[in-house]
Amino acid sequence: MPTKESDEARLRQAGRRRRARYALVFLVLLLAFCAITVLNINSGSVRISLPEIARILFRRTGDAAQVSIIWKIRLPRIFMAAILGGALALSGFLLQTFFGNPIAGPFVLGISSGAKMAVALTMIWFLERAGNASSAALIAAAFVGALLSTGFVLLLSRRVASMSVLLVGGIMIGYICSALTDFLVTFADDANIVNLHGWSLGSFSGMTWDNVAVAGAIVAVALALVFALSKPIGAYQLGEAYAQSMGVSVRRFRVLLILLSSVLSACVTAFAGPISFVGIAVPHLVKRGLHTARPLVVIPATFLGGAVFCMFCDLIARTAFAPTELNISTVSSVFGAPVVIFMMLRRSGRD
Amino acid sequence: MKKRILTLAVLVCWCAALLCGCAPSAKKAASDTGAPEIAGLTYESTMQLQYANCFQIYRYEGGYDLIAVSDGRNYLVIPEGGKTPRGADGYIILQKPLDSIYLAATSAMSLFCALDRLSRVKLSGAKQEDWYIPAAADAMAAGTLVYAGKYSEPDYELLMSSGCDLAIESTMILHTPEVQEKIEELGIPVFIDRSSYESHPLGRTEWFRLYGVLTDAEDEADALFGKQAEIVQSLSDFQNTEKTVAFFYVTNSGTVSVRKSSDYLAAMIELAGGRYIFKDLGDPTTATSGVTMTMEEFYAAARDADYLIYNAAIDNPLGTVDELLQKSSLFADFKAVKEGNVWCTGKYLYQATDVLGSMIQDIHTMLTGDGSQTELTFIHKLS
Amino acid sequence: MDLALETKDLAVGYGGRPLIREICMQIRRGEIVTLIGPNGAGKSTILKSLTKHLQTISGRVLVEGTDLRTMSCRRLAEKTAVMLTERVSPELMSCWDVVASGRYPFTGRMGRLTHADEQIVMDAMRTVNVLELAERSFAAISDGQRQRILLARAICQKPEILVLDEPTSYLDVRHKLELLGLLRTMARQKGVTVILSLHEIDLAQKVSDKILCVKGDRIAGFGEPAEIFQDARIRALYGLDAGAYDTAFGSVELPKIAGAPQAFVISGCGSGIPVFRQLQKDGIPFAAGILYENDIDCRVARSLAAETVTEKPFCPISDAALERAGQLMAGCERVIVTDFPIGPCNERIRELLRKIPDGKKA
Repeated sequence: MPTKESDEARLRQAGRRRRARYALVFLVLLLAFCAITVLNINSGSVRISLPEIARILFRRTGDAAQVSIIWKIRLPRIFMAAILGGALALSGFLLQTFFGNPIAGPFVLGISSGAKMAVALTMIWFLERAGNASSAALIAAAFVGALLSTGFVLLLSRRVASMSVLLVGGIMIGYICSALTDFLVTFADDANIVNLHGWSLGSFSGMTWDNVAVAGAIVAVALALVFALSKPIGAYQLGEAYAQSMGVSVRRFRVLLILLSSVLSACVTAFAGPISFVGIAVPHLVKRGLHTARPLVVIPATFLGGAVFCMFCDLIARTAFAPTELNISTVSSVFGAPVVIFMMLRRSGRD
Repeated sequence: MKKRILTLAVLVCWCAALLCGCAPSAKKAASDTGAPEIAGLTYESTMQLQYANCFQIYRYEGGYDLIAVSDGRNYLVIPEGGKTPRGADGYIILQKPLDSIYLAATSAMSLFCALDRLSRVKLSGAKQEDWYIPAAADAMAAGTLVYAGKYSEPDYELLMSSGCDLAIESTMILHTPEVQEKIEELGIPVFIDRSSYESHPLGRTEWFRLYGVLTDAEDEADALFGKQAEIVQSLSDFQNTEKTVAFFYVTNSGTVSVRKSSDYLAAMIELAGGRYIFKDLGDPTTATSGVTMTMEEFYAAARDADYLIYNAAIDNPLGTVDELLQKSSLFADFKAVKEGNVWCTGKYLYQATDVLGSMIQDIHTMLTGDGSQTELTFIHKLS
Repeated sequence: MDLALETKDLAVGYGGRPLIREICMQIRRGEIVTLIGPNGAGKSTILKSLTKHLQTISGRVLVEGTDLRTMSCRRLAEKTAVMLTERVSPELMSCWDVVASGRYPFTGRMGRLTHADEQIVMDAMRTVNVLELAERSFAAISDGQRQRILLARAICQKPEILVLDEPTSYLDVRHKLELLGLLRTMARQKGVTVILSLHEIDLAQKVSDKILCVKGDRIAGFGEPAEIFQDARIRALYGLDAGAYDTAFGSVELPKIAGAPQAFVISGCGSGIPVFRQLQKDGIPFAAGILYENDIDCRVARSLAAETVTEKPFCPISDAALERAGQLMAGCERVIVTDFPIGPCNERIRELLRKIPDGKKA
């Protein structure tokens, strides 16, 4: 005969098991993070021995060129991969929650197309007139382009109630931006937009500490805000109607969610170009690993998972076919797509 | 409301970034006003240039030079063992000896080889198979010249560990400003080769003298340049044959890319004693060198050209007229095709900046020859 | 007068077009009000308007005296809990998670549950009898179980007003009764006001304090069940054929077979009901008699038989009745007599029995 005490005991035990699982997943992620960081610092076209690396890192002494290599080339790149990988995964998680659709990714709302269009415009405009553009201008252009796309989607979301219609709207905006970009490309001189294709495949090469500072600041703020929204995100998982009945201001929440996810993916697009699959695959993997969707746990884990995944992909991109560097999207697709397929199969099998 | 504020903030940031990007990088623009004052240096002379107008070299006592390039970048060249003068702020410092150069501007390689200063170049922006200059390809095979990534994706670590002291880039680097900024952040000065913006072909070749200054090979440079200038001067009295020449290639999408009338290739044709078929084509003020037109437009304009020269530097060289006809059957109607006056360049064209004079000679031969010579140094006739 | 909810000339609808107008009702604390009406009448529309899921078009809704329009969703969430018809399919949420989300309006910034909250959740689950499902995934249980989990969720929100849209749709009869019993208990003991919509009008009749009839563009009625549940009103509301719904018992019958009766059934005290039903299933029109008006056979016969010969309760059978019965019997091919008690009151039925021509069935 189930008694109150035995019920409580059972639930408490289940809670302990759950928390143990969370702890395990976080531990694995942290270990992976450390391991991949070490691997990343240790690999590059120049051989630097581990003791040398340790000396350079902790005491900042050593061969000038090697110090530069570690501090100016490898470290900023590693940090950037971690920060942007986490941002992508988080952005994907937000959109997947919002749309209740596991295929939603950070760029589904036309963000990368908007950014590409802005970058193409800037490249053409600058190089036609001034013959000179700073990387800051291109980064800012990508950011603005991405947010403009978001702006349109937000306008759409005011008039449209259904989620799937909004999704289609976002995809359409993406197409419009792509079409405009192609239009620009047709009239531009080949030389001006020769690098547009390369940009759109994404790369972590050449990151500076300035980049890390700016991206880090933006992503940190966004991460904090998302974490602060854990409660409404949890409510949202039951659907908009129930969320509203629990007191979530659905209108405001929609805007916040789209905006936050857009700022995160705009940041990634601006600094490294669009990187595919991290945003779709990582939230899935993390949620399956944790076996829960509770935002308080999933949000930090997703960020960490994204960082690890992205750093891992960057490692492969750099070292697999050295000295040629693969584009990061190529690598992340190779690892990410099978995961997504596997997830789809499992899910459809269950339904 | 929040969204509007955010959008506004971002727009403001963007404007600020644009403004930063617009600001010229050098504070002392000297190219048009005469030799600038540099604290700690005494001005000696200005190099007298015959054809080039994209750079100026101001010479100072003690072996110091100031190279002012038309894009506003000014390079202060400090001799070996020399100290940085007080007034060096705002200039890009090039400390001699410059002997570990990363060369990503392929047009400069031929100049280095001709100056016998290939040994100064340690890192290459092109792979071995992409070099048509034998000396360069051999150096790569021997390992004295190493591939360090193309201009848009250099291997920064290799640059650092090789102790690179100068990166010579073409204007393509302007499309990837972040690469330039990263290289400069690592302490390696970036020199942007703007020889392709010279309107006179010999202006391009005069960059010999600039690189001569950088690599302590001024005498050799003057000699080589002089030789090329001589060839052209010998043609200066020549009466123009008034035969028209078209210089073009067919792109993948079926359009035709031709050079602007202000481009140096058009000037070469004029110097060689011919007329470039297009008058006033293209906007001379913009940075691009070519104009794309449809096959119909090209047909209308160049059908009656006496000579056709196919630019195989981008595309692959053609061997026979049939290969040309495969690109478009309209070519069969061209006067030059009917008369058998179709020529083609080698892939070497853009890497042959050291011998532009000889190339002009080739075109001269094409225009004035009896048609029996089909294999000239730089162009060959299609059979 | 302690009004939990009041509407004044409320008009509801979609996209600014009113579907139903002039809704006026007063609901006291602790009352159970059920909305009934045909499909598509607008029951869900009204409920959604009361919970701010849909914007009202005109008129006012006062929740404990405060106008709904001036109330924020948060304040409303502290008073009202809902159970909707929408399919909920959260991934990787356990049943416990779903129920615990009901504590949302009362938890702190990060949404963490205190010990007290956990007790409330457990109690709610225990009340609805779903505690054993706590650790199972919400996606892996049956629709009926999901319904009950969602009810537990609504309960643990500790609302003053509970709004449920067709809460019994997927439930089997046991759980239907449990749920309604639970609602009754909550209303009576804790003073929770319950507003729900039901398709099962028999249950509506039994559980509600007030009924709201929704049909057309106005309210077809608002009042106590005794007043609303009259044969004519229900028939008009749902467009039923005569005799298909019995308001006394809340039972439904399939339509009677029309035509001249081919069989005559003599029965009483409920023994005839199976026979009536069988004849109806076989498609044979029949007549029944002589049945006292207070006999349960009589109520069913009225719904199913082509003609029923009746007699006033507790009176001896009259000549007129015997006469009519005999006429009908003569016109029928068969006579069916069931086993029913014959006592001093209905002694005269034996006369009828004697008149049966050959060819009868027991």
